[in-house]
Amino acid sequence: MSLIIKDLHARVKDGATILNGINLEIPKGEVHAIMGPNGSGKSTLSKVLCGHPDYEVISGSAELDGQDLFAMSVDERSRAGLFLAFQYPVEVPGVTNANFMRAALQARMPKGEELDAVSFYKEMRSKMKSLDMDPRFTARAVNEGFSGGEKKRNDILQMMMLNPSYAILDETDSGLDVDALKIVSEGVNAMRAPFRSFVIITHYKRLLDYIKPDVVHVLYKGKIVRTAGYELVAQIEQQGFDFIKSEE
Amino acid sequence: MDFSQNLSMEEAFALAEAEAKLNAALQAASQRFNDAKIPDRYNEDWRFGQPAKHAVALAEILKTNVPARGSISVKCADSEVVMPVSAEDDELKETVNLMPTIGSDALLGLHIRRFGEGICLMLEENTEIKQPIIITYETDGLYTPYTFIMAAPGAKARIEEHHKCADGATMFCVRNIHVMEGAQIAVELHEHGSIDSRCMNITDIHNLGGAVQHFTSHAGHAWAREETIAEVYAASPGTSIELYSANRISGNSVLDQHTHQIHHIGGAKSNLLYKNVVDENGTAIFAGNIRVEAGAHCTDAYQTNRNLLLSEKSTVHSLPGLEILADKVRCSHGSASSPVDEEALFYLTSRGVSRANAQELISTGFLEDAYNKFRKSFDETYTSGLPD
Repeated sequence: MSLIIKDLHARVKDGATILNGINLEIPKGEVHAIMGPNGSGKSTLSKVLCGHPDYEVISGSAELDGQDLFAMSVDERSRAGLFLAFQYPVEVPGVTNANFMRAALQARMPKGEELDAVSFYKEMRSKMKSLDMDPRFTARAVNEGFSGGEKKRNDILQMMMLNPSYAILDETDSGLDVDALKIVSEGVNAMRAPFRSFVIITHYKRLLDYIKPDVVHVLYKGKIVRTAGYELVAQIEQQGFDFIKSEE
Repeated sequence: MDFSQNLSMEEAFALAEAEAKLNAALQAASQRFNDAKIPDRYNEDWRFGQPAKHAVALAEILKTNVPARGSISVKCADSEVVMPVSAEDDELKETVNLMPTIGSDALLGLHIRRFGEGICLMLEENTEIKQPIIITYETDGLYTPYTFIMAAPGAKARIEEHHKCADGATMFCVRNIHVMEGAQIAVELHEHGSIDSRCMNITDIHNLGGAVQHFTSHAGHAWAREETIAEVYAASPGTSIELYSANRISGNSVLDQHTHQIHHIGGAKSNLLYKNVVDENGTAIFAGNIRVEAGAHCTDAYQTNRNLLLSEKSTVHSLPGLEILADKVRCSHGSASSPVDEEALFYLTSRGVSRANAQELISTGFLEDAYNKFRKSFDETYTSGLPD
C-alpha cells in the first residue's frame, strides 16, 4: 500500500507548467523528505495531490492505496486518507475550530451515525494539550487572528484528529520558534506508525533533525533529481543546492 | 385644556405651550400622511424593493379594512411590565403619529388606522428583568401589531420578538423603543416566514442616554421590508446604539433594509453591522445613512454591510451613506459583497468536509458573527454596567 506518483506533469490553471514528470513512491510506514530550492515545485506538488483548483494536471497519475487520486474530489481525497498541512493555513472567519473538526469527523462516519460530542471534545482537548494549545481555541474561528506558529499547530492538531494514512507537511517549520518546532515534531513522531506515511517538505535541516526521514528527495525544476538517505540532508546543509543545479 | 390642576400661571402657560406644540406636530403628521404617496420605484427609498409588486399589494389589503387575524403571546417573569396596546390609548397613538419613516409615510398612515393590537412593555426605573421577555406575534392572514418598549432610567432587560407568518400571510409591525438615561436594553427581532409570506417593520429607537443593542434576522419571507431609525437625543457616558442584522435570502425572496442612524447630540456612539447570505434568485437591498446633526460633536458612528453571494443569480444592492454636519466626529461606512472565498472552501474540503457542507459552515459562521457580536456587546454592558 503506497502513494504512487507516475510521470506527473501539472501547471497553474491556464499558466506556466510547474511539474515536469514527477515519479515518487511513498510506501506506508515511511517518512520521506522533499527538499529543493525556491520555485522548484514542492508546494505545487502538494497542492496538485490535494486537488487545489488553481492547478491542473496535464498528464501522469497518482494512486492512493490503489485508488485513482485524480478521479476524486478534494474532500474524497481527504476521506481516502490524504492530509495536507498547509504552508500558509487559511483563515476561515465565523467557523469555529470545534465545529470544523466535528464536521470533518462526521463526514467520515457511516450514514445515519452521529459523532459523540462528549468524546469528541475530550479527544480534541487532550490533543490540544499535547500540542500546548489553549483549550479556548476550540471556540475561536479557524486560524482567525492566530499567529503563524499557532496556525501551524492548528494544522497539526487537525492531522492528529483526522488520523490520515498519508500526511504531507508543507514547510510546517516556517514560522515556528524552537520550542514550538519541538512540540510539533514530537506530535508528528508520536503519529509515526506502520500504517501511516509522511511527506515532509522543508528547506531546513532542523526539522529533519527532529523528524528523521527514511528517504530524502530533491525536487528541482519540477522533477525529482536526487533520492538518497538522511546523509543527503547534511550534504545540502553544507553545500546548498548548487551541486545539484550544476549537475542538472 | 384642563385647568383643574392647581397650577401657577407660568406652569399653566408652559402646559398650554406644550399642548399647542403637540397639536401642531399632530396636525403636521396628519398632513404628512394625507400627502404621502404609495411607494413606487421613483421614490429614492424604494428604488430596488419591487414596490410595484409588494408595497402596492400591502397598501391594497390595508385599505380594504380586512380584520386582523393573529395572536399574541408574551412570556415575562414580571407580569406587571406587560400591557396590551389599547385602541383608546391616545398617547401611544400620538407617538406613532409622530414617528419618522424611511419613505413609508403612506403605509404607516394606513397602519395607524388599525391601531389597537400589540404589546407595550413598561420597564420601571432601575428594574432588572433577568429572564428574556419573549413576545410572539403569529398570523395566517393579515396582522398589524405595535410593540412599544419604554425603558425608564436604569432599567435592564433583553427582549426577544418573534414574528411568525403562515403561507401567504402578511405581518406589518410598528415598533417604538424609548431608552432613558442609564437603561440597557437588547432587542432581538426574528422573522419566520413561509411560502409567499410578506412582512414589513418600521422601528424607531429613541435613545435618551442609555445603551441599546438591536438585532434582526429574516428567513423565509417572499418579501420583507425593514426600516430602522435609530436616534440619539441625549448623551451620557456609555450612550450607544448598536444595530445588527443577519439574514438568509433564497428562492425569489427580497429583503429590503433601510436604516438611519441620527445623532441629534454629540458624545454618543452608534454602530451598525448588517450581514446577508444571498442564494439562488434572492435579492438583498441595504440603504443606510448616518446623519450627524450640526453641533453633535464628538460622535462615533460606524456602518458596515456585508453580503455573501452563493449563486451567480443572487443580487445585492448596497448603498451606505454619511451626512456629517458637525466637526470633530469619527464616522465610517463600508460595504463588501463577494462569493464564498475559494481558499477557505478548499481548506475546509481538504479536511474531508463536502463542498456543500463547507459552504454551509462558512455561511452559518458569517451570519453567526453578527449575532455573536450583538450578544457579546449586550453581555459586556449588562455585566459591567455603563460607566459613571
